[in-house]
Amino acid sequence: MKYIFIILSIALLLTAPFFGQIELHLFNINYTASMDYKLFWDLRLPRIIVAFFTGALLGLSGLIFQSLFRNPMSTPFTLGVASGATLGSAFAIVFGFVTLVPIFGFFGALLTIAILFSIASKIKGYDTSSLLLVGIALSFFYSASLMILFYLSSQSQSYEILRFTMGSLDVVGIRDTVPVIVVSILLLFISLQYKKEIKLLLTSYDNAFLKGVEVRKINTILLVSVSIAIGVAVSITGPIGFVGLIVPHILKAIYKKSADKLLLITFFYSGIFLVGCDLIARNLGTASDVPIGVVTSFLGAPFFIYLIIKREKR
Amino acid sequence: MLKINHFSNAILSEINFHLKEGENLILLGSNGAGKSTLAKVACGILYSNKVELFGEKLELLHAKKRAELINYIPPKLEIFDDYISLKEYLELSRLHSSLHVDEVISLLNLDTLADKPCKTLSSGEQQLTMLASSILHGAKLTIFDEPTANLDPKKTLQVYEMLKSDVIKNRIIITHDLNLVHKLGYKILYMQEGEVEFFDENKKFFEASNLEKLFGSSIKHIDGYFVVNI
Repeated sequence: MKYIFIILSIALLLTAPFFGQIELHLFNINYTASMDYKLFWDLRLPRIIVAFFTGALLGLSGLIFQSLFRNPMSTPFTLGVASGATLGSAFAIVFGFVTLVPIFGFFGALLTIAILFSIASKIKGYDTSSLLLVGIALSFFYSASLMILFYLSSQSQSYEILRFTMGSLDVVGIRDTVPVIVVSILLLFISLQYKKEIKLLLTSYDNAFLKGVEVRKINTILLVSVSIAIGVAVSITGPIGFVGLIVPHILKAIYKKSADKLLLITFFYSGIFLVGCDLIARNLGTASDVPIGVVTSFLGAPFFIYLIIKREKR
Repeated sequence: MLKINHFSNAILSEINFHLKEGENLILLGSNGAGKSTLAKVACGILYSNKVELFGEKLELLHAKKRAELINYIPPKLEIFDDYISLKEYLELSRLHSSLHVDEVISLLNLDTLADKPCKTLSSGEQQLTMLASSILHGAKLTIFDEPTANLDPKKTLQVYEMLKSDVIKNRIIITHDLNLVHKLGYKILYMQEGEVEFFDENKKFFEASNLEKLFGSSIKHIDGYFVVNI
């Protein structure tokens, strides 16, 4: 069963670039003068790569957050880092730095991380739950700020901001995919590096402490790594909702294993999930692609509810 | 070995005592007297700069070194992870013991439970799991918080045998069971409303006048056993 899923997933990855509003042919993609060549190498392949690694990053981040915060509702966006990136991007759109949107987005995320941890360090003996509360407060503050930007913006700018918040996997050229690939692989590497600590933290914080884990240090390393990775992803693709919330839950329900054993599995299948959603978004036959965030939520929410009902019945 | 210098917080006031190398201790006191709080201070879960362990200041110790010196076994196994099995839990606990996980599992007759998720174990089985984890952790000083609460007589005996054996190095035991206290014969620290009321040898504690002073008429001494006077 496990192998069938892996084979199906790889088949999906290999065939996904060929389907879309214009279908591509395998033999044309090596022929440099053809339209297919340009479409494949400049648009489709980069898009699949971004979809896979963004999905992987969001899913893994969700798994780490849910484990550290002990809260099944937490998502990679819970700490407000994504809102920070969105606000930064919106700022760039409204004040005429349209070409610098991803850079502003990333600085929005970095600034949020800086604010978050400087506030947290002022709380004596801070724990993850106070960090969570500060993150939620920041998110609300950012939503209000975003409203002000909407208020100040022209109609076309408003539309652009709105479109950004829906998420988009449009990238041009392989070069644009590099940041997401790098941060997602780094995040995977870091989380695997701290696998044993994560396992201990999953028993109880006190137990981890007694077994010689530097709880606060490990938490901070993991949370900052996730936040930076999310900042990079959101500044490129916009906040794509639900992947980070549901994919880890779905995998936990299927595999019935502790989170520390699901790091790589979540990484892989979250990537596949987003590639699949993107494939649907590109092939619904509408004039333009359906926003990817819409597809992830439309597919994810009912399936998620189904799983919860099934679990409660057990 | 363990020294607490004039420690006070919201629950404890002016805790000041010194436990010498090789001395085991029983921590007694009524519910809410602050026994668990004191234990958490001693092992560092509650921060303080008034604790010395084996001649070193607790708050300055590196986390790994601290884990080598002290461990605390709470009254209940609190675990967030739904899927971690007993055996995996014990594997995580093995730090400074020469015993292997499988040896300790069979020592405590937990073989049939090894692959079960910790969360599905009964409270007695969880109690034994924690005892096994303390053996595998192998800290120089281990604090057991009510290790025999909620156990059937057979398991109580099993735990008692382990507690007094040398698979555990130095120990502090929090309990309400006066018979256990009497049989173990360790030095006693009795707490009342966050203060140290009595800190002396076992024999002195069980002198009739002292028992009368601490427990009034609620304890009866019959044939070498201490029972609640109902």
